[in-house]
Amino acid sequence: MMLWYLLKKDILIIKKYVLIMLAAAVLIPPFMLWRVPEYAGILGFMLSVIFCVLILLQYISLKEYQFPKAASLLCAATFSRKMMVLSLYIFCIAVYVVCCTIYTIEALIISGLDTMNAAMFFLMFLVTSVLISIYLPIQYKLGYEKTKFAFTVVIIASPFLLPQLMKMEIFNLNFLSEFSPILICGSVLLLSCMLLAVSAALSIKFYNRTDLA
Amino acid sequence: MKDILRVKNLNKSYKNFSLTDVSFSLSEGCITGFIGINGAGKTTTLRTILNLAKKGSGNIQFFGLDMGKNEQQIKNRIGVVLDDGCFYEELSMAEMKSILASAYTDWSEQDFKHYMDMFSLDPKRKINTLSKGMKMKYALTLALSHNAELLIMDEPTSGLDPLSRSQLLNVLNDYMENGGKGVLFSTHITSDLDKIADMLIMIHNGRIVFQEEKDFLLDNYRIIKGDKKLLTENIRQLFLNITETAFGFTGVTRHAARVQSYLPDAITERPTIEDIMLANLGGCGK
Repeated sequence: MMLWYLLKKDILIIKKYVLIMLAAAVLIPPFMLWRVPEYAGILGFMLSVIFCVLILLQYISLKEYQFPKAASLLCAATFSRKMMVLSLYIFCIAVYVVCCTIYTIEALIISGLDTMNAAMFFLMFLVTSVLISIYLPIQYKLGYEKTKFAFTVVIIASPFLLPQLMKMEIFNLNFLSEFSPILICGSVLLLSCMLLAVSAALSIKFYNRTDLA
Repeated sequence: MKDILRVKNLNKSYKNFSLTDVSFSLSEGCITGFIGINGAGKTTTLRTILNLAKKGSGNIQFFGLDMGKNEQQIKNRIGVVLDDGCFYEELSMAEMKSILASAYTDWSEQDFKHYMDMFSLDPKRKINTLSKGMKMKYALTLALSHNAELLIMDEPTSGLDPLSRSQLLNVLNDYMENGGKGVLFSTHITSDLDKIADMLIMIHNGRIVFQEEKDFLLDNYRIIKGDKKLLTENIRQLFLNITETAFGFTGVTRHAARVQSYLPDAITERPTIEDIMLANLGGCGK
């Protein structure tokens, strides 16, 4: 229950931006279909996920940075630091699930937008997990300002870098068809969960050592 | 009386400041003033005992329970008012309350409404539109709305106008009368403590200078005024501090009877808590 209330807190403090990013999640895949139809499917979905997860995370961090003593008040109540960290991970996963839902609905409605199979969703979950597994421990270790700079560069560069990476065919995932979909999904999910667990443990460790404002 | 908070040999180090072997206890049924000048270590001590800052070493027990092992259980029984509010200021008071209320198993919506009405606070109002006094009242409302057995407040009266300070002190008195078990109240405005404190703890340079009952302190310390020509080295040593002017001297002592035996014509006055605090800054426990 504590996690649910902390998740609610995260949404409340960035409520203005949640709607904007929801709009971005809706608009990015059709925009990609319009501008670069050959990469519209997976790339559009990937961009919407990266934008939504990272930007919303940054907004939460910004609010925590603007009101640093609020976290002290929550910790002086019964919210543990561990729960506060975990709520951020759950927030990111929730954003991912919302992006999946939006894309699935759009793929059904908009012709030309590829529908994705379960394996692709799991692969994208792995990509999301890698991102937040790197981002959050770094932020808990280095603080908001330093982390923001590094990841802003990544976000700005992503629309330019991703098409180039696609051209290099490193995203050619056809080889996966040789394996059982259940095996792929299970392995990817397991790997994602392991990454998230290790990352969360690190973030909790860093946050536990921090003296709150 | 049972101790509701016991701190033993608490140490915490920063680059330029450290708490050194801080030990004190709070008895049930007492309002305890935690006094000291700015930078003495009051806020650091409170933050460390609440585990907002990590202690270096030491033992902290609330209600007989070890803080390290029972943190959540203990915090459920404590109301905390931190300096300057500590809210997400873009939220409304109702939204902030909805977050914090969920942290406590014994949250009372009725008490919350009671205090909001008492302080004339509109729950729909954004926190960043509140004055400092209103934020403090809102913080106190949150701290008092979950049947807390101990209130810990960091400089709650700092920056408040006299009316708001008086309201806050009245609320604390009501809280104790209604079965609150204790209040720990850090401040450098000692006149507030003259009115409500039962016990005083003084900290300076990260070390506890004294922990005494307020009345004991007021009874045992005296301000002595007299002719400075009569001050010998032996007499000087009986004072915590002495201020000398062209007309004479004023000093604070814990040995009033002995000073009077040496200086029978000297004038003796009862000190305020501020006098006692400042005297102890002069000698720090001489």
